[in-house]
Amino acid sequence: MSGQHGDLAGDHGELPVAARVRRLEERVIAAGLTTDAELDAVLARLYRDASPVNGARMAARAWADPGYAERLLADGNAAAAELGFGGAGLSYRLKVLANAPGLHNLVVCTLCSCYPVSLLGPSPSWYKSLAYRSRAVREPRAVLAEFGLALPEGTEVAVWDATAETRYLVLPVRPPGTERLGEDELASLVTREGLIGTAAV
Amino acid sequence: MSLPPGTRVRARAGDPGHHTRLPRYVRGHTGEIVECTGEWPLPDDGARGLVPPRVEPVYTVRFPAAQLWGEGDHVVTVEAWESYLEEAG
Amino acid sequence: MADAGEGGHGAGKGQSVSRVHDVGGQSGFGPVVRDDDGQPFHADWEARVYALSGALRARGVFTTDEFRDAIERISPQEYLAAGYYERWLAAIEALLDRKGVR
Repeated sequence: MSGQHGDLAGDHGELPVAARVRRLEERVIAAGLTTDAELDAVLARLYRDASPVNGARMAARAWADPGYAERLLADGNAAAAELGFGGAGLSYRLKVLANAPGLHNLVVCTLCSCYPVSLLGPSPSWYKSLAYRSRAVREPRAVLAEFGLALPEGTEVAVWDATAETRYLVLPVRPPGTERLGEDELASLVTREGLIGTAAV
Repeated sequence: MSLPPGTRVRARAGDPGHHTRLPRYVRGHTGEIVECTGEWPLPDDGARGLVPPRVEPVYTVRFPAAQLWGEGDHVVTVEAWESYLEEAG
Repeated sequence: MADAGEGGHGAGKGQSVSRVHDVGGQSGFGPVVRDDDGQPFHADWEARVYALSGALRARGVFTTDEFRDAIERISPQEYLAAGYYERWLAAIEALLDRKGVR
């Protein structure tokens, strides 16, 4: 299976990639290992259920309701279930990391690109990039600066590498001047980058 | 072995030839247990088709960046299966 | 410690694989490029690879551990040159080959 130097995956490497994928689909369907319906269902579930709006709603609820915030930080899975996320429960352990004045959290998966898809939607290309995976643990402030985030002097930075079964969500600090906003409006302030830690909110 | 929060541990050195989830950048370095995150099957066994896989406690372990790279004022945490760690005292 | 089992699908049989995927702390990868338009897939084939991975794992054809292992066995040159879903594709092909799926 070593194939030619430069060929991807040995014998399979000569075809254009789209043709390779079609051939692979035909192969597994012919072998009875899946069906078109099952393949479609995987994508349908992704598009229907996975969105950063979910994580944003959890953050907004935590800002509006200190009791929920406490539960969210103590048991992310139970708190997500309270809001109906994750169908019959999340398939991973969810740990929510609270930012605070003086503490900023940043999430990465250096080994591959693990990520709480159901709460954040499909992961962005930059999160999966070798540049982010290599640099976030070593020079987080420089990476944050590239994202336009300059942390106040003296802010501690904690970088969380998702190497096992836990997926992390950052709970941003509630922006000042938002005391009168309802939960829906609060949720609209929260970005995917804020929930990963590459933005303030 | 149950490791309470605050226990100082060293990530084992050594480079297994098989799939593992302990990143190279922490191997041989000393950190502190933050919490135990439950018990999970060892991916080293799962990837090699070892049945049944060993099930072990998994710990969140925090390392100062200065320990890992000689510079940096931040901390880095990883999640490590118990057999990836030894007590550092 | 040499890999006692089969070599990676990018390496010769019996050789250790370098597992170049373990990039935490490495230098030289440049700035974090943010060309993301928010779309999960940049070509239809990427979505199909995503679906194949999910469906085959749901059916138990291979586990997530085996899938990650197969990605990590890609040779360093191929791993670094390949796009994210190209690695997934190579991993699925290699797993099916190894499991004798015709």
